[in-house]
Amino acid sequence: MKELLLLSHVLFGVGCVLTTVWLFVDVLNARENNLPRIKWLSRAVALFMWLSFFLGGYWYVVDYKADKALILKGPWPFAHDFFMETKEHFVITLLLLATYLPIAAANNLTANQEARKLVLWTTASVAILALMAEGHGAIIAVGVKVALLAKPH
Amino acid sequence: MNPQEAPISKPTRLFGLSLAVCSVLNALLVIAKEKSKAVSGAMQSLTGHHWITHVALVLFFFVAFGALFAVTKSGAKMSVPRLTHFVLAGVIGSVVIIVSFYLIAG
Repeated sequence: MKELLLLSHVLFGVGCVLTTVWLFVDVLNARENNLPRIKWLSRAVALFMWLSFFLGGYWYVVDYKADKALILKGPWPFAHDFFMETKEHFVITLLLLATYLPIAAANNLTANQEARKLVLWTTASVAILALMAEGHGAIIAVGVKVALLAKPH
Repeated sequence: MNPQEAPISKPTRLFGLSLAVCSVLNALLVIAKEKSKAVSGAMQSLTGHHWITHVALVLFFFVAFGALFAVTKSGAKMSVPRLTHFVLAGVIGSVVIIVSFYLIAG
């Protein structure tokens, strides 16, 4: 169950990244006929982000203690001290950005080029921070792995 | 704003400003929590976990600042490029503060 929770967290995170990239391309080519899709994609980004955040947050609060103890005793303590500590906090900014995206994307992006730029920058920020979160997550997972490998048998 | 362009919605302005402010607030809360045991303890006791309180506070202020800016009509005359710069400055500032803090503190 714990592993399924963690995998779902990563899966929705990847879903968020992929949808954000798709949204970015659609906003770059904003026309009257793809405006409805832009609105739906921006809502999907927010939904994926909230799901990933909720699942990851639940895992962090309930299940992370054991992993944290392992990481800190292992050869990669920075996997917690730096990567987990930064990740658990910058993802809050990422959550705000993803929540704001459908609000900004609801404007008429073909009639207002400046609004289109605002959505492009917001989308790019979501993509970069979400990729950063994925990378941090991978380092935390390797932190656990190297700690287990270093344990005397 | 280009007079020929369609105006942007009120929530876009209000929550754009709120996003910028709350992103920085998020980073400052990290420093306050890590530097003061009293703040960390209070956040821990409020919900049972400091991080849950942290998230709840930032989300609360995101909505509250949006409502406050609506009442005070803040940013009503702000151009969209300026709003974009404001949002980017808030987000980048937040991430830089958090990463730098843990680099230095670590």
